[in-house]
Amino acid sequence: MSSISGLVAVLLTVLQWAGRGLPSPVRPICDPRVLDRFIMEARDTETALRGCKAGCGVTGTFVVPLTNVDFVVLETKDTEEQALEVQSGLFLFGQALGAVRESVSRAAVKSLIDNNKSNIHSLGQVLRSLHIKDLSLSPVPAVGDSATRKVSSLSELLRVHTNFLRGKVRLLLTNAPACQQNST
Amino acid sequence: MTNDNLNKLLVFCVLFCAQKTSIVHGAQALETKVALLLHAEPENPKCFAEGMSDLTCFWEEDEERTGSADQYSFIYTYQNENSSECSITALPAAGGKRLYFCRLSQTQLFVPLDIRVFRDDLLIHNRSLFIELVFLLDPPANLTLTSTGTQGQLKASWLPPSLKYMGDSMMYEVSYAMAGSHIGKVEEVQASSELILRGLQSGTKYKVRIRVKLDGISYSGYWSAWTDPVLMETMPGDLDPLIVSLSLIISLVLTLLSLLVLMSHRRFLLKKIWPIIPTPESKFQVFIYIFCEWLGHSTGGLWLRPAYFYSEEFPAPLEVLSEVSLGPALPSSALPPKASEALGEEDEDEKLKRVDSALEGWRETPQEHWPMDQLRAIHQHPAPWTQSSLLESHDAYVTLNAQNHSGEELLDDILEETLPLQVLFASGRTSSESRSDLGSFQQSSGLGRLSSQSSFEYPNHTWPPKGPGYTYMAVADSGVSMDYSPMSSSKIDDIGKGVIYTNEYKNEIPAHRRPIGTPIPFAF
Repeated sequence: MSSISGLVAVLLTVLQWAGRGLPSPVRPICDPRVLDRFIMEARDTETALRGCKAGCGVTGTFVVPLTNVDFVVLETKDTEEQALEVQSGLFLFGQALGAVRESVSRAAVKSLIDNNKSNIHSLGQVLRSLHIKDLSLSPVPAVGDSATRKVSSLSELLRVHTNFLRGKVRLLLTNAPACQQNST
Repeated sequence: MTNDNLNKLLVFCVLFCAQKTSIVHGAQALETKVALLLHAEPENPKCFAEGMSDLTCFWEEDEERTGSADQYSFIYTYQNENSSECSITALPAAGGKRLYFCRLSQTQLFVPLDIRVFRDDLLIHNRSLFIELVFLLDPPANLTLTSTGTQGQLKASWLPPSLKYMGDSMMYEVSYAMAGSHIGKVEEVQASSELILRGLQSGTKYKVRIRVKLDGISYSGYWSAWTDPVLMETMPGDLDPLIVSLSLIISLVLTLLSLLVLMSHRRFLLKKIWPIIPTPESKFQVFIYIFCEWLGHSTGGLWLRPAYFYSEEFPAPLEVLSEVSLGPALPSSALPPKASEALGEEDEDEKLKRVDSALEGWRETPQEHWPMDQLRAIHQHPAPWTQSSLLESHDAYVTLNAQNHSGEELLDDILEETLPLQVLFASGRTSSESRSDLGSFQQSSGLGRLSSQSSFEYPNHTWPPKGPGYTYMAVADSGVSMDYSPMSSSKIDDIGKGVIYTNEYKNEIPAHRRPIGTPIPFAF
């Protein structure tokens, strides 16, 4: 009886431990080629839709983040502040691309827009792997209007999107502490 | 105080010199970059970024349009920001032209920058660019070539430009060529500070240079200037296994071909290399036959055997005992040359002639063994030496003694066992006396002197008494073999008193010298 009870106790302990759903530790994605692919696809989309007549039928204005990077100022920001800017910007781009997809009728344009939206979602996974909280799916109230601006065309939207990925997102991934630990 | 002033002056001079050096170096680098952009960038103003937060723009004006820098204004505007103006500087250029420069010390990347240039309020240049896409870096520093330890390889290593956040975005182009050659190869490598050059020739000096550029994904720009070439020689190479194996195969094929040619023409070659030497044997046989006929002897005698003349062996000294009963002496005539050669060397022509004459008196009976029988008969009935029938005046006794050059060394020079034919004669005299005549043969290797005595020297039967007895070896030639028997002139009983040394007959030239025993003393 005592042996049976002990065995049951061990079994329950094991199941409880498994039931907690402890996630396996996510390996940090520090390979710059991952973001490079997203950047190149965004640039290709911008190039492809630059000559779209009448803006591919897209109308309205879109709120986008600022993309400028001053390295002198960047040195004064910590990782969390940079991460906040990146995640809020990714959120805004997600919203804008969603609105664009609803307004276009051509399938080719829709396909390109869908690809870029998928890349934004993948970037959220990359940030989570670097132990950066993914806030792309929720609004970021901390970001003020000074950090955003408005665009009124699809080509402008896609150009800002490309610049945002090449600049701020890349600098965040390059300076991520998880990637700095792996390199040392 | 004086020392402090001197120290300050010295420090100032050093700093000034360093700055001057850096200024000179910077001026040279600027001049190089300007030349590059004038060739690579078609738009104006031509702008380039060297670091993280700078931008340099310039344009060129012809001589007729040149003016002072105050006539120009450089206005730049970042997206969603207010415009700003940059101060302009002018520098002379080749061909009377002038260059006007604007340099920004704080910039924003990843955002469009609008640039407008005015000359006297006239817009002359308008351009929009992204600063992160116009990088023109300095060439990589500390280019070094090292050997990898493998043939045909060199390792090139360098120091990347020190730009933060851009290390993994840099692309390098390595150019290498043999020293003195203008034809080379180029290899690209990304985000690395070393490259192994492969496929190089062994034992050859190569010159290598390198330049850098951003990869164009996040950052882009122009190729930098080439570094100064660095020279290094590759390791000397070993024999290529392929070349060695091919050489062996070719040599083997050539050897087989030559063997085939030789085999196909072997008869012809054998005739040329080893021609058949005609042997005069058949002709000599004719002469021998004639000689025998002339002498009236058959062809079974010892002296007249053809093989005796033609043997390549060293002529053996030979003692000839005449027959007991001999016919009338034949007239003297010269021996054939072959017979005289068989006697060996002689230093006395007279003795040779006497030998010749002695040979003339040689008689042979058809019986091959009669000399043995006759000698035995003599032993049984010994007669005084001087009165022996053997010493008839017409009889010829020929003794051949090989005498060495030196006197006392005779006994030490001759190997007893290697004497080709040894006939031992002993008398009551000492060995020194016996040397002169019938003593043991003392023959040096190849240089024996033959002295001969014949009974003709003592015409008055004054043959030197040699004592009542002596030992000798009788030689009987049956035509097939030669029989040697030690004999003694004394009675059989007396044989046991002495010691008879018999030596094996060897028809050979003695190979070495060993001391020889003394002649047999025989006591009577």
